[in-house]
Amino acid sequence: MSDALKELEEILNVTLPGNLVEEVVKVEEGHFNVFSNATNAFELMKILREDAGIYHLTTISGVEKDDEFNVCYHIQHRIEDEFREVPINFTVTKIDKNKPKTPSMIDFFVAADYYEREIYDFYGVYFENHPFLQRLILPERWPDDVKPMRKEYGWEQIKEITMKIAKEALEEAKE
Amino acid sequence: MTEQYRSRFRTLTDGSDSPPGADHHIFIGPQHPWAEEPAHFIIHLKGERVVEADIRIGFNLRGIEKAMENRTWRQNTMLVPRACGICSAVHQNVYVRVVEKLAGVEDQISERARLIRMFSLEAERVHSHILWYGILAHDAGFDTMLHISWRDREIIMDIVEDFSGNRVNPALMLPGGVKRDIPKDKADKARPMLNKLIKQVEYHKKVFTEEASIRNRLENVGVLTKDDAKITTPNGPTGRGSGLPFDMRKSFPYELYDKIDWNLVCYNEGDILATTLVRIDETLESLQMCNQILDQLESTQGELLARVKPRVPEGSYMARGEAPRGEDIHYGIANGTDKPERYKIRAPSLGNIDATLKRMDGEYVADMPVILRSYDPCFSCTNRVMLINEVTGEKIIMNQDEFARKAIKAKRYNRPFF
Amino acid sequence: MKKVLVMGGEALKNHAKGPVTKHVLKQISDHPPPEDIRTIPRIIEDRCIMCGTCVKVCPSHCLEMEKDDKENGMIWLLKPQCMWCGHCQTYCPVDAIHIDRDPNLSVSLFSFNVRQDYEMLVAKGSYKGDVADKKLQELIDEGGKKIKEIEEFRGA
Repeated sequence: MSDALKELEEILNVTLPGNLVEEVVKVEEGHFNVFSNATNAFELMKILREDAGIYHLTTISGVEKDDEFNVCYHIQHRIEDEFREVPINFTVTKIDKNKPKTPSMIDFFVAADYYEREIYDFYGVYFENHPFLQRLILPERWPDDVKPMRKEYGWEQIKEITMKIAKEALEEAKE
Repeated sequence: MTEQYRSRFRTLTDGSDSPPGADHHIFIGPQHPWAEEPAHFIIHLKGERVVEADIRIGFNLRGIEKAMENRTWRQNTMLVPRACGICSAVHQNVYVRVVEKLAGVEDQISERARLIRMFSLEAERVHSHILWYGILAHDAGFDTMLHISWRDREIIMDIVEDFSGNRVNPALMLPGGVKRDIPKDKADKARPMLNKLIKQVEYHKKVFTEEASIRNRLENVGVLTKDDAKITTPNGPTGRGSGLPFDMRKSFPYELYDKIDWNLVCYNEGDILATTLVRIDETLESLQMCNQILDQLESTQGELLARVKPRVPEGSYMARGEAPRGEDIHYGIANGTDKPERYKIRAPSLGNIDATLKRMDGEYVADMPVILRSYDPCFSCTNRVMLINEVTGEKIIMNQDEFARKAIKAKRYNRPFF
Repeated sequence: MKKVLVMGGEALKNHAKGPVTKHVLKQISDHPPPEDIRTIPRIIEDRCIMCGTCVKVCPSHCLEMEKDDKENGMIWLLKPQCMWCGHCQTYCPVDAIHIDRDPNLSVSLFSFNVRQDYEMLVAKGSYKGDVADKKLQELIDEGGKKIKEIEEFRGA
């Protein structure tokens, strides 16, 4: 039990089970990083959403590490009487790089729809139980197996693919 | 829960996927006379009422996040404000705070630098809000208001240009401080202009609250209740119009917003008029903050720029700022070199789409332009035009000056433009 | 409380006045931009030590350098690509760079057809004169070729 976890529990007024939480780090006054792995993340988010009453999801960012993917949910605990917010970066760790799979949080946050589809586009992370995990941002002609934000694709490679798509589109338009 | 609020792109080619009860489908954007911004709206109608609305985005993916991974932290300072055409200062401010926190120099920033940053942010909020309610009036068919509000907007644009050297993108901030000082003579020149603008914005407020022709278009249109707002998570003025009193400057203060005197604006009605009044009141609030900042600048001294090393130590930090449109969030991860490992930007408009789609349910199709405009979609204009003669296929490229001269001649001598 | 014709007075007043946007259509020289307007950078030759910091920090990669040592070298600028951010000025260790504040320059740069417009900012020592001129001509020729390629790609 670290001090940061205790402080977070006090603010949220819930108990976060020790087996679900990997680590809690206090970034600054009223700003926390919470780490949890892909198997436990759904359970932990359920506690945060339903017991602690966190309803605001700002965004989700995908992160590529050396041997795993991370998905970071930036959620805000809002205290309406004090006009105060406690930002929490909820990071889902240990997402396998070969078969990236993590539970979708769309049951808790409606806004997760766009953000999860964006990460599916850019990193190819598969969100389980997402009702329509389709392409959101990338163009229609973009090859399915190219996930542009991964480190394996350099700036020049992305440029090449973009030019190829543009040329195809031009040729089609000419015909 | 998601069933009720979700949005998705229905395939309409076979007709089987249209929502139950819909008999007409209207497509708006991205190349459409209504809006210049790259979004594609599909509105399913039953008679004149909206059954369901969808959106498709991604027509203008520029790959800024990927580009940032290939540039140094110093270079990115000037790439990041280009993420948005009109709220560029806030993007730069959030970026700069991420870098300062990661480099561990956030205590070394002087008060004077922070005040100048705040002036830049507030001036941006003023010109963005005035621009927005001008266009809203235009969409509601009230063009007089558009011309008058945009005429008055020039006052704040002149001040920004005088202080920073640029009209829309002040680009004053750097990791460690600011680039330019606001000297006393410039501040003295700006004060009467600000007071004049305050009078004008009060007049705009009078028009929006009293004039029947605009009020009838905005009142009780597109109501977003507080419960709906909690679920669809709008941010910024869209949320504050629906009774969610959260403004980053109050709820998680950055720079010196906790040391300055200002009031949070919040309305509970949830209709388009409430969002409009939130923005007008915020404009007034920002203008009085600008005056306060100029007063405080006189008595505050300090080094403008602290030294920040080009290599940023390992770590990650999430910073948020209150953009004119809502909350702007940046998440930066540094790996010890001079380039970022990963940098995530989310601009506020994406977070407001769900709420806007919810707003449309059951509304008249004639109210669509106003509702679509309500979340303040943003676009940028440049100072040049390209004209293509449709008959000959000839292209003429000219700058603003030439274009204006040609237009005047054509008008004066009553002859064709080409 | 709803009223009609709240803007009636304003409308009448504006009928009597001339057009507000009149000055926009005049020559820019009649209404010059403010003194502190930003344009492209200039380098003071005597102070420049050819360290290359400006080339490294430039966000739009519009500055390029060729050098032998501290005394011999040149820096040139691709004018239309410069976005006038002033990074080179901020990070210059010897304060050799200042931002040109010529308002006429800010007007002339606003057009597409100067894509191959290069400018030699500084040439020192043996790079002075002919070498610099030759390099500039080469760059301009190359830029012209690139434009042609782009236009072909666009199908123009």
